[in-house]
Amino acid sequence: MFAELFSFLYQFADVFAFLVLSASGLAIVFGMMGVINMAHGEFIMCGAYVTVALVQAGFPLPLAQLGGAVAAGLIGIAVEALVVRNFYKRPLDSLLATWGLSLVVTQGLLLTVGSTMPGIGTPPGSFTIGQYTFSTYRMVLFGCALAVLGLIYVVFMRTRFGVHARATMQNAAIAQCLGVQVGRVYGLSFGLGAALAGLCGALYAPTMTLIPTMGATFIVESFVTVVVGGANVLLGTAPAGLLLAAIRAGLNGWGGQIIGQIGMLLAVIVIIRILPDGISGLLARRAR
Amino acid sequence: MDGDLLRTQGLTKRFGGHTAVSGVDLAIRQGEIHCLIGPNGAGKSTLFKLIVGTHTPSAGAIFFQDQDVTGARPYQRVQRGMSIKIQAPSVFRELPVRLNLRIALQHHVPRAALAAEEDRLLELVELTADAARPAGQLSHGQQQWLEIGMALALQPRLLLLDEPTAGMSPHETHRTGELIQRLNAQGMTVLVVEHDMTFIRQIAQRVTVLHFGKLFAHGTIAEIVADPRVAEIYLGNTHAA
Amino acid sequence: MFLSVNGPQTAGNGRAFWLAFAAVLAAALAYPVFADPYDVGNFAYLLLWVFMAMGLCLIWGYGGMLSFGQTFFFGISGYAYGVLAINFGGADGTTFLALVLAVGLSALAALVLGYFMIWGRVTGVFFGIVTLSATLVLAFFLGQTAGPEWRIGDARLNGFNGMGGMEPLNLPWLDGDSLYFEGTALYYLVVALIVLVYLGLRMLVNSRFGNVLVASREDPQRAELLGYDVRKYQLAAFVLGSSLAGLSGVLYTSWGQFITPSSVGLPAAAMPIVWVAFSGRSDITAALAGSFIVLLLFQTITVYSQQAALILMGAMLLATVMLAPQGFVLGAVRGLARAARRGRLAGQEA
Repeated sequence: MFAELFSFLYQFADVFAFLVLSASGLAIVFGMMGVINMAHGEFIMCGAYVTVALVQAGFPLPLAQLGGAVAAGLIGIAVEALVVRNFYKRPLDSLLATWGLSLVVTQGLLLTVGSTMPGIGTPPGSFTIGQYTFSTYRMVLFGCALAVLGLIYVVFMRTRFGVHARATMQNAAIAQCLGVQVGRVYGLSFGLGAALAGLCGALYAPTMTLIPTMGATFIVESFVTVVVGGANVLLGTAPAGLLLAAIRAGLNGWGGQIIGQIGMLLAVIVIIRILPDGISGLLARRAR
Repeated sequence: MDGDLLRTQGLTKRFGGHTAVSGVDLAIRQGEIHCLIGPNGAGKSTLFKLIVGTHTPSAGAIFFQDQDVTGARPYQRVQRGMSIKIQAPSVFRELPVRLNLRIALQHHVPRAALAAEEDRLLELVELTADAARPAGQLSHGQQQWLEIGMALALQPRLLLLDEPTAGMSPHETHRTGELIQRLNAQGMTVLVVEHDMTFIRQIAQRVTVLHFGKLFAHGTIAEIVADPRVAEIYLGNTHAA
Repeated sequence: MFLSVNGPQTAGNGRAFWLAFAAVLAAALAYPVFADPYDVGNFAYLLLWVFMAMGLCLIWGYGGMLSFGQTFFFGISGYAYGVLAINFGGADGTTFLALVLAVGLSALAALVLGYFMIWGRVTGVFFGIVTLSATLVLAFFLGQTAGPEWRIGDARLNGFNGMGGMEPLNLPWLDGDSLYFEGTALYYLVVALIVLVYLGLRMLVNSRFGNVLVASREDPQRAELLGYDVRKYQLAAFVLGSSLAGLSGVLYTSWGQFITPSSVGLPAAAMPIVWVAFSGRSDITAALAGSFIVLLLFQTITVYSQQAALILMGAMLLATVMLAPQGFVLGAVRGLARAARRGRLAGQEA
């Protein structure tokens, strides 16, 4: 009995971790700048590739993963300056521009690097409960997801950058009048979003095959989590992750992966209907 | 009361903890020019949007021509004979002036008569020379007039205007007042939400005053102008909010 | 009710335009006489995609709704045609019945999906995200159907390998033979359909329906306050535009006698957006001509390297959004028209 329950919770935690890790970077960018970053998957892919390259160069896994996140973050800052800067508060245009960028990057990599790269294996370690065996690494991922949520909270609520960032999110014009360097805030925020995406890729790299188009695996889930969560990453991403993970894990257990994905998508359509501003919109209205 | 074109009963709207409109009974008689006034924050705009259908009421009912329209969507109210000009200038900016009018006209006027009707309205709102220009290129006052023209194109029973003279010069404001009076002389019932007391004195026949979301006073324009309590709420001798 | 092909919502209403149109049409009709049958069949292949482009132009350019679902409906109708053609057997004109039913299925699916989104007030970028998600889920689902248990009647879905073995469009012909719509016959069929759809769409967007649709794109609240139930107009545009994508899907499946999930998912889902954005989404003629040019370009490069072709597509999308949001083709045509007018005026003054 306990084994069954734990198995379900494990599945739930697994999906929750996936959703939170893949969506938080996107949520920050969307919430901050009103920009939909369709190249989000490519930052994830970047994190994964850099991580694998570093591991094969001899670095220990955690350090390599950190390197992957940092690399993605730096590239994010560059992309923001060159492309995204032109599209603030224009979600449709930013979606198209970053989609174009995504195509160029994935196909360019396919052309130059080829379609597969030797990956690294999942770190060994498992434990059994009842008749089920669970991977320790995936529990680590759950822990990382919680850590990321905590990190976002600390950064946005307890640092000076966080105060500036929240002010800019509320009203960029007034923030500028008060001396906030809005351009720098945007650049750093996009970089943070990209770094979180890179971290997602870095963390999942040991569990996946590395192909240049691997970002697509994360796109649907991360987008629907952001849409359900709403624009405020602090209020929305975690509850959205909980809700969608519960739906997905439940449906997976009942009907398998395909039912899980289709069911989650249908649930998203219904949720958007009821809560057009997402969960954070609902919570914000309640607070008033 | 019979003969009321539009009637609200106990109309209330709450936003979270804040009550914007509370228990308002408003009556617009057929053929009159009725002004809705009140200090800032009185709830005029919210009441207007409730009548139009953009907001759904928390309580109360709205009757148009003695039929309950409380649950009707805005387009249904328009089809029944209301015509609306909202506060923010909202013409179809990218489309030419003439096409703006055509879209308003096309359901009421047979295809053969469209061009003639467009010309008539263009003349009425003095935009004949600008018929081919994108509406977004007109001056602010011209856009307001184009919107009034579009509202008239619907041949409504009740014309609802939310601050039609906002952003207009005194001269344009006076001409707008004259236009409304001309229309009223031909039998049009008009509800106007307004701030500008000169304009209100020019056109109003009956007035309803809102204060803190409640019905504060109503009567003829002469009665309201003479009422000291109304002057007080505008000049702020009441208790601080 | 007299509908006109000329009107405010289409560029190119004058005599010069229609003369040019007639000339292009004449050239298109004469082409197979001079060309190699292989090239004619290739042309037919290029042309069958434009329905999807015109459909997106209607939904996005005129209706203001960015739908990423064109390949979703392409896939539904393509696979539906395959299933029906295989199960009907493919003779005695049943393939045309399959065509009609397959497009009808897309229309129905668009009605349901569109209803939920439009009545659910899902607009703007969320409309795009929901349609994209639906498309990716369909692609994912189709890729999972490799096992023999995944069949509808006699038609196996076959996962990533795709469904094959269906008869191309054919009609019973003289002497007990069948006319197969391949090569030149398909070419003429597609050209005829393009002319019909193009003229029909011109009439639609210039009609009262088109006026309201464009008004809803510009300012939905204003349109509603003029007494229109904007949702119905948007749904109608969405259903029609998505059905046209379905038509492309059927023609594609008939042409190649196969269809795979890669026609539905990424990067295929991005292609209609690239064609229409680059061409100029607000005008049906620009979308038609521009899409054809981009398709030709894509096909020329993809022979050497598919990745290079897709890189170009991505770069074109990026460039369009950054430099010419109204579309390069439309921008170029308008620029030429302005230059021509200035030249005429200068000539008159001289």
